[in-house]
Amino acid sequence: MKKGISLALCAALCLGLLAGCGASSQAGASGSAPAEKKGTLNLYTWEGMFPQEVLDGFTAETGYEISYSSFDTDETMLAKLEAAEGGDYDLVIADDYIIETAIAEGLVSELDKTKLENLGNVNPLYQGQFYDPEDAYTVPYGAGVMTLVYDPTLTDVEITSYADLWDPALADNIAVVDNYRVINGMALKVLGESYNVADTQVIRNAGDKLLELAPNIRLIKNDNVQDDLISGEVAAAVMYTSQVTLACLANPELEVVYPEEGVGFGIMAQFIPSQAPNKDAAYAFIDYILRPEVAKQCFEWLGYYCTNQAADDLIEEEYKSFLTLPEGFNTEMEMIENITPEAEEMHMQVWTEFKAACE
Amino acid sequence: MKQRRSLWLMLVPLYVFTLVFVAGPLVYMFILSFETRAETWGVVQEFTLDNYKNIFQPVYLQTFAESFRLAITSTILITLIGYPFGYFMAKLSDAWKKRLMLLLMIPFWTNSLIRLYGWMIVFRANGVLDKLLMALGVIDTPLKLLYTYPAVVVGMVYALLQFMILAVYSSCEKLDRSLIEAARDLGASPAKAFFTVTLKLTMPGLLSGIILTFIPSMGLFFIADILGGNKIVLVGSLIQDQLLKAHNQPFAAALAVVLMLLTTLMISLYKRVTHSSELEGLL
Repeated sequence: MKKGISLALCAALCLGLLAGCGASSQAGASGSAPAEKKGTLNLYTWEGMFPQEVLDGFTAETGYEISYSSFDTDETMLAKLEAAEGGDYDLVIADDYIIETAIAEGLVSELDKTKLENLGNVNPLYQGQFYDPEDAYTVPYGAGVMTLVYDPTLTDVEITSYADLWDPALADNIAVVDNYRVINGMALKVLGESYNVADTQVIRNAGDKLLELAPNIRLIKNDNVQDDLISGEVAAAVMYTSQVTLACLANPELEVVYPEEGVGFGIMAQFIPSQAPNKDAAYAFIDYILRPEVAKQCFEWLGYYCTNQAADDLIEEEYKSFLTLPEGFNTEMEMIENITPEAEEMHMQVWTEFKAACE
Repeated sequence: MKQRRSLWLMLVPLYVFTLVFVAGPLVYMFILSFETRAETWGVVQEFTLDNYKNIFQPVYLQTFAESFRLAITSTILITLIGYPFGYFMAKLSDAWKKRLMLLLMIPFWTNSLIRLYGWMIVFRANGVLDKLLMALGVIDTPLKLLYTYPAVVVGMVYALLQFMILAVYSSCEKLDRSLIEAARDLGASPAKAFFTVTLKLTMPGLLSGIILTFIPSMGLFFIADILGGNKIVLVGSLIQDQLLKAHNQPFAAALAVVLMLLTTLMISLYKRVTHSSELEGLL
C-alpha cells in the first residue's frame, strides 16, 4: 500500500517536471478528408498566433501538414535561425526590428510575389516600413500600437496624452510594459523627440524626465498587464494591442487613449528563411491567410490590428474598434527601429535607473 | 587492481560530462566577457576591458548592492524562522517527523512559478489577504501589498526556507541531548546551555543552511520580477535584460563573472570568519 502511494507521488512529480517541456507541438490536420499529403510546413513563431480552425483548414485544403514550433522572444528566434543557417524553418513570423537584423544577416529569402495572388489585400499603411522598405522580403501579419488605457472609475485624472501620466494624482497607480524602448520612448515623445534619436544626451534627458514618473509606477511587466488593470491593482496602463483588446472585452468601461504626442507602432511580419526546406508550403500558407475571410478569423483570434484591408469590412462589430484604426486617426505614427550600440547602451542605463527608482 | 581500473573507467563519462557541460560554458562565458559586441547582433572577437569598466557605473553597482541587500535580508529571516523549526522538528516523535517532512516536501511537487502566482492571488488588491483582513475589520482599504519589497521578501523566504530547515534538522537530529542536560546540571541557565552547547554543536547545519539559502537568493531574480513588479533590479534581472533585450552578450557575461567571483569571495570570507571546515561538502 505504502509503495503504491510513493509510486503515485513519484509519477506526479515526474509529470510536473515534464509539463514544462512542451514548447513544440504538432498541429496536424484531423477530421475532414485532407487533400493528398504534400509534405510539412515548418512554422516558427510565438505560441497562439493562429486559431486551430485556420491551421486545420490550411492542411485540409492544401495537404501540407503544419509543424508549429514556438519561441518566446525574437532574440531566441534569431539565434536559432542563425544556428540553422537559415534552414529548418519554412515560415517565420516575428517583430519588425529583428527582421531588419535577420535580413542584414542574409537569413531571409526574397519573396517571389507571383506566387502570392492575394498580396494586394495588404493595407499599404503597413508596407514599405524601415525593416523592409521595398517590401521585398516580408508580408505583414498583425500590427500593434502602444496604447494607453485607464479606468475612469479609479482616477479623476482625464488622460489624453503621455504627459498626463506624470500627474501626481496617479501616484503608485500605473502599470507599464517591460520594454525599455517603448517606455523610454514615451518620455522622448513627451519631450517632442523621435523614438529613434541617436543623440545620447537627448536619451539622458528623457531618462531624467522618466525619473519624475517613477513615483507613479506600480509595476513593470510584459505578460498579462491587463489583469492588473481589470483587477483594479492599477488605474492606468501602457500596454500592447492584444492586451488592450483583452482588457476592453473584460471591462468595457475602460478608456482607450491614442496619446496626443503621437503613436508608436510595431508590425509582426512573415518571412521565408533563406534555406527554407519547403518554400512552396510557405507561399501557400502566406497566400492562404491573406484571404479576407481567413484573415478575419486570424485577427479576431489574435487581437492585433488587421493589416488586411480586404478583411476590415468582414470583422464583427464587437471587435471592430480594437482591430481597425479609428477614422480620422492621428497618422503621426512612428516605428521603433534599431539604433547604434551607443544609443542602445544609454537607453539601457537610463532604463535600469528608472526601474530602480520605481521601488 | 583490475577492479580499480574498471571503477575509473566507469567514472570517465561523469568527468567528461562535467568538463563539457559545467566547465565548458564557464570558460566560454569568461572569454565572452572580454569580447566586443557587434554593431547589430552577436559579438566580434576583439579584446576589450570595457565590459568590466562598464560595471563600475553607479547604476550597475547599485544592482549588486540591491542583490546583496535582498539576499542578506532573506537569509536573516530564513535563519530566524528555519532554525527553531528544524530544532523543534528534531525533537518530535518519529511518526511526526515523517509527517512534517512530507509536508515540507509537498510544495516542491508544484512548479515554483505556479506557487508564486499563488502568492500573487493572496497579495493582490482585493485578493485573499485583503478580503480576510477586511472581514476581520483589521483594515478598511486594500493594502496594496503586491509589487512591494515585503512581498518579494516573503516570496524569497517561502522559496528557500526548506533548505534551512532540513540542514538544521539533520544537525539537530545528531545532537546528543545528554550534553545539554549535563550543562544544566552544572548550573547553566537554559539560555546559556543553548548558546554554549546546542548552538555550537548544530553550527555546521546552520552554516550549511545559510550558504544553501544565501547563494540561491543571489540568483532568484524571477521572484523579484514577479512579486516585485520588476521594480527591484537585481544583478540577475540586469543580466537577463542585457542578454535578451539589449543584445549585449559580452556585458552580460562580464556581469555574470563578477557575480560569481563575489559569491565565491563571500563564501570564503564566511568560512574564514566562522572557522568552519564542516562546509567542505558544499564547497
